[in-house]
Amino acid sequence: MSRELTRRELAALLGAGALAGAARTVGSGPVVRPGVVGLARAEAELGKPLGRATARRVMAAALSASVGTESGVEALARLFGPSDTVGIKVNCLAGPALSPRVELVEAFVDLLAEAGVDRRRIIVFERSSRELVRAGFTIHRAGPPYGCVGTDNDYESLPSSCGAIGSCFARLVTTTCTALVSFGVVKDHDLAGVSAGMKNWYGVIHNPNKYHDSGCDPYVADVVRHPFIREKLRLTVLDGIVAQCHGGPAFRAAEVFPLGTVAASTDPVAADLWAWQVIDGERRRRGKPSLEEAGRPVRWLATAARHGLGVDDPEQLRLVSA
Amino acid sequence: MKIDRRRLVALTAAGAAGVLTPELLRGSAAPKEGAKVPGGDLPAREASWYRRLEEGRVECQLCPQACTVADLERGTCGVRENRGGTYYTLVHSLACSVHVDPIEKKPFFHVLPGEKALSFATAGCNVECKFCQNWEISQFRPEQVEAYFLPPETMVATAKRTGARLTAATYGEPVVFWEYVRDVAKAANAAGLRPTVVSNGFIQEKPLREVLPSLSAIKVDLKSFREDFYRDQVRGKLEPVLKALEVIREVGVWLEIVVLLIPTLNDSEAEIEDLSAWVFEKLGPDVPVHFTRFHPTYRLTELPPTPVATLERSWKIARKQGLNYVYLGNVPGHPGENTVCPGCGEILIRRMGFRILGNRLKDGACQKCGRTIPGVWE
Repeated sequence: MSRELTRRELAALLGAGALAGAARTVGSGPVVRPGVVGLARAEAELGKPLGRATARRVMAAALSASVGTESGVEALARLFGPSDTVGIKVNCLAGPALSPRVELVEAFVDLLAEAGVDRRRIIVFERSSRELVRAGFTIHRAGPPYGCVGTDNDYESLPSSCGAIGSCFARLVTTTCTALVSFGVVKDHDLAGVSAGMKNWYGVIHNPNKYHDSGCDPYVADVVRHPFIREKLRLTVLDGIVAQCHGGPAFRAAEVFPLGTVAASTDPVAADLWAWQVIDGERRRRGKPSLEEAGRPVRWLATAARHGLGVDDPEQLRLVSA
Repeated sequence: MKIDRRRLVALTAAGAAGVLTPELLRGSAAPKEGAKVPGGDLPAREASWYRRLEEGRVECQLCPQACTVADLERGTCGVRENRGGTYYTLVHSLACSVHVDPIEKKPFFHVLPGEKALSFATAGCNVECKFCQNWEISQFRPEQVEAYFLPPETMVATAKRTGARLTAATYGEPVVFWEYVRDVAKAANAAGLRPTVVSNGFIQEKPLREVLPSLSAIKVDLKSFREDFYRDQVRGKLEPVLKALEVIREVGVWLEIVVLLIPTLNDSEAEIEDLSAWVFEKLGPDVPVHFTRFHPTYRLTELPPTPVATLERSWKIARKQGLNYVYLGNVPGHPGENTVCPGCGEILIRRMGFRILGNRLKDGACQKCGRTIPGVWE
């Protein structure tokens, strides 16, 4: 692995690492469960929001199933501590019809707050405020009830390299947050194959357009294994109430299907492997070629696994339903 | 407003050049021209070179990356976006950098010596050189840099007001704003100015041929003569650049070449010999070749600046291969900056950095021996 850290990055990481280290001592027992993806079901009609109670129930169930706790609050308490500043990266590229649902994100925020994280230290973010608003979020810089901001070009002033990528990372990720959550959707991607939890991190670098060739391999893995992400990433949550099996990353009404599932995992590779399986399953059902047959296998998952980011072996994938 | 380093560089440069001041822009354009453009409000204009594919995808036909772009996505350049199956450029008339520079800074050494060029750029680039000197604009998307809405007519009017006889699309990569280049060139020609381009030459043949006739000169960065260098250091390809150079020569637009020599990566004697021999054979002995000095920057910060001895060695190799006009760059005061008559050895244009100390050309010829020196002298 070729990794170049500047003095500035090192200082940022040391600071964040100290805080993160402190946070991890808060919980007890194993907080990372390789290959485990927690799933919870909620029926939903296309285009209609979940009720708040349903959103909370399904979110809590997915979290507890993923971490192996009695409750969602307990799961989050294992992963995050009171001193954490938690950044929740949502993927709103596709607009209101195929972005993480506001009610699900807010249910997650509520559970996180109940787990002991100060609401003022919870930041829902996307690369631009404009995309957040378009997806139904309300911008509030410092809460209450939680921070919700676009990074809006607030990047580090110098690029940082990891493997094949060299990028300026959003300062919200490098310096503000001590812990990160990828809150994605489950959708097909025309170049990457799948856009779920890991591809979501393209939204924190200044030059994602440079890294879409070769099926985004090894670039997706290189972004996530950069210390700025890897050292802070605690959880992946996927809003699969509806999913899209073809034509992504933009929303295509004809390709959306009611999956009715929320997934959570401390293993980002396993979470995306599940998303890949779900998408391929729907493609089969519709008589479409698999992603591999369509010429866009999700090769970067294997690359990510080789770098120790998680489990990409279907034999080791453990789906735990609530 | 918070100003980061990137923004500071852009603003400082623009301010120092004295071009993008309200005074200069005032009264020269419609109310919105010259106005700062907020990041999210990019003016979209349908791109000129692409084709529609199935399922809303498009294939960009501007540069050899030939990106296939899904709906809502952008090409590698970051400045062209697919919106529902129509491909748009987001940077037409959206200049993020505008300066008045001496033409020697481009560098053009055989184009109107000592004259000024109104130089401009937009965000974005179709490659990613690890040694990019202008990465703070070229490696960013248009919504990430401060920019001004300057339509071609405004650009040309500004050039005239500042006394520039040339325009130069430069700094970033003009290929990614090729429609803007085309339209500024058209306006410049109509106003009696000479439009020029400073490019990496990584462009498909059709758009190149369509715009070339309206240009007075083009400078191409030949970044190496090895494919692996283009793959590993540039994220591009050599072969299309060589093809572009041949097309430019064939069309007859004045051409100069810059080779940035980077220690250990592209400065071997064998590579310089190959490059020089190719230029001689395919382009002819009269195309100026500038060997310029690398300074550590962007993602290539661990290599030292190029030793002057390396530049001098390359100069000798190229001259030995038969090239008539070989120059050294980024070494102010070096004799390699001067234009020397290949016929009699007379120093015709004496330079110090970007300044002209003396010009003994008369009607494009050596006063001593009468040899015609090729270039754009009027």
